Amino acid sequence: MLDLFLAQSAFPQAMGQGVLAHYLFVSAAMFTLGLVGFLTRRNLIIMFLCTEMMFQAAGIALVAFSRYHLNYDGQTFVIFVLTVAAAEAALALALVVFLFRKRDSLSAEAWLEMKG
Amino acid sequence: MAAKIALIWPEIALFITTCLVMLLGLSPNKQWRSLCLPASMVGLTVAGVLAAMGMGVGGPVGDTPLPYLPGFIKVTVAGVGLLLLLLQAGLIDRREEALIASGRAFSALRTNRAEYFALVLFSLTGLMLCASAGDLIWLFLALELTSLPTYVMVAMSSSRNRAQEAGVKYFYLGALGAATFLYGFVMLYGGTGTLQLATMAEVIAAEGVNTITMAGLLLSVLGLAFKIAAVPMHFYTADVYQGAAAPVSAFLAFVPKTAGFVALLLICSAVGWTHGESGNALPEALRIMLWVMAAVTMTVGNVLAILQNSIKRVLAYSSIAHSGYMLVGLLAGPGDGTFGGSGVSAVLFYLAAYGVMNTGAFAVIACLERKAADRGEPMEVEDFDDLRGLWKREPALGVLLAIVTLSLLGFPPLLGFMAKLPLFTSGISAGEIALVVVLGLNSAIAAYYYLRIVKAAMIDDPRGEPGAADSAVHHPAYNLRLVTGLCSALGVVALAILAGQLAERVTEASGYIAPVGPSQPVGSATVLETETLPVQLPMT
Repeated sequence: MLDLFLAQSAFPQAMGQGVLAHYLFVSAAMFTLGLVGFLTRRNLIIMFLCTEMMFQAAGIALVAFSRYHLNYDGQTFVIFVLTVAAAEAALALALVVFLFRKRDSLSAEAWLEMKG
Repeated sequence: MAAKIALIWPEIALFITTCLVMLLGLSPNKQWRSLCLPASMVGLTVAGVLAAMGMGVGGPVGDTPLPYLPGFIKVTVAGVGLLLLLLQAGLIDRREEALIASGRAFSALRTNRAEYFALVLFSLTGLMLCASAGDLIWLFLALELTSLPTYVMVAMSSSRNRAQEAGVKYFYLGALGAATFLYGFVMLYGGTGTLQLATMAEVIAAEGVNTITMAGLLLSVLGLAFKIAAVPMHFYTADVYQGAAAPVSAFLAFVPKTAGFVALLLICSAVGWTHGESGNALPEALRIMLWVMAAVTMTVGNVLAILQNSIKRVLAYSSIAHSGYMLVGLLAGPGDGTFGGSGVSAVLFYLAAYGVMNTGAFAVIACLERKAADRGEPMEVEDFDDLRGLWKREPALGVLLAIVTLSLLGFPPLLGFMAKLPLFTSGISAGEIALVVVLGLNSAIAAYYYLRIVKAAMIDDPRGEPGAADSAVHHPAYNLRLVTGLCSALGVVALAILAGQLAERVTEASGYIAPVGPSQPVGSATVLETETLPVQLPMT
């Protein structure tokens, strides 16, 4: 059944290494931008969006690798990654609202009581 | 499929308990509501028994190169989890329950008990699932299931601002760590073309480690360093352990750490301790990274612990140091498979021992509460001065603290010593002499701050000014926490006496089947072989 579907959808063509490299480049760039953003920005929502971007970078790489290896493992993984990212988003937004009510600020600098 | 479900009966039992607890905690009837804790403990016990029964079958139960791992981890998690659950008694809704007792109507919206216990159980379920993992999707989901509830637990553990600060720091760095190891997992998939750990082991054994796989390995280890609180992802540890209530800190020191080590063991087993000149080491780049990480982690942890004045921060940095010790075992690998020579069994032994000892230390801190100046919720004991003369004020707590602290220090003949010994021997038999020397030096540094705790509690006189002892409060859960501490101390002694049996169990659990080249056909359901497709094309 799966083979039939593959044959009909003209999927079985493996992605060449050159094309794969393009996808991986985009993915790595997104991951790096996310990381840099996370480390430099101080707004809690922006910082969270940066980690989301790192998650999505992983998603792009997964789909590309999936096509390159011609198996569905990677595409399956993407769906789970999206689900976890959604769960994390729900948690993050709840936390941010909770914190905002306490301090009236979205800045991470408002939360620097403990040191040492 | 059926075999996989048979593997996760403990988790299923735990999940059913979680659903039940979520309902129980919302009951307006106080009797029903207070059943949350007993019900959780019964569920966890059932899960532990199920896991122990599965372990007795004898054959391999998992589908990774470490097939005997799941049973042992699950039984350990159930055992230490029971202590941790007992410690959570009376943490949540204390003020709300007092108001209800004085006549306020019950409102499901204002109470958090159901959610809290559900979160604890979800996290433990995730930890057990980590041990059952056979592929990277499962491992990723299990790691996230372990971590996500703990972020909420930290933020809701206390109404003080510190807990919220700890929650936000923990969540954000946690998300960064998760994104990092997720990217690592993706690279592992990209390099080997499979998500199954067993197949991955075969592919790597046949084709070696290519660049993408190596990048994936390094990123995965880096991301998982967050879970085990190892350098360079350790920055959150002290703040989070200090900000969260002591019972939650105890939880954080065991559950995510164990999940991280299980994941690291699984990933290293997929790469195989079959590289290097001697043929029983990890690939060189990974070996160097773990070596540096282990040495720096234990040194940073111990040196910074010396500089602290807050007890919880000392325990947090010591938790970092203990991760460094365990990394030595991970690096050494299964070796010759005997108890003294296998780093894997040393790590498993240490995880179990550390869980018991550390829970005891945090239980003592959770017992010590005093009235807050601002009449808010009681303050926890803060620095060494607060511990002074504990032996004279509360003899039981003083002795408990001394036992678990000396055990954490690795004082012979206590459990900590028995746990540290195999780390040394496995490191030596793996030829990592320099690292073992670092480990020895660090154990000596650690003596300073552990003995400082013991001295404050057992030798120093109580603080001069009146009121310090008078303002100590015994909240309703004090007794349960004391019992937790007693159980931990008993566990330290009992496990030290039964160390031979435990050693047998961990040696069994660390059985490692070194991967050989791919057996044909590889994962026929998931890997579509490209050559066969053109043949099938004309048929459509």
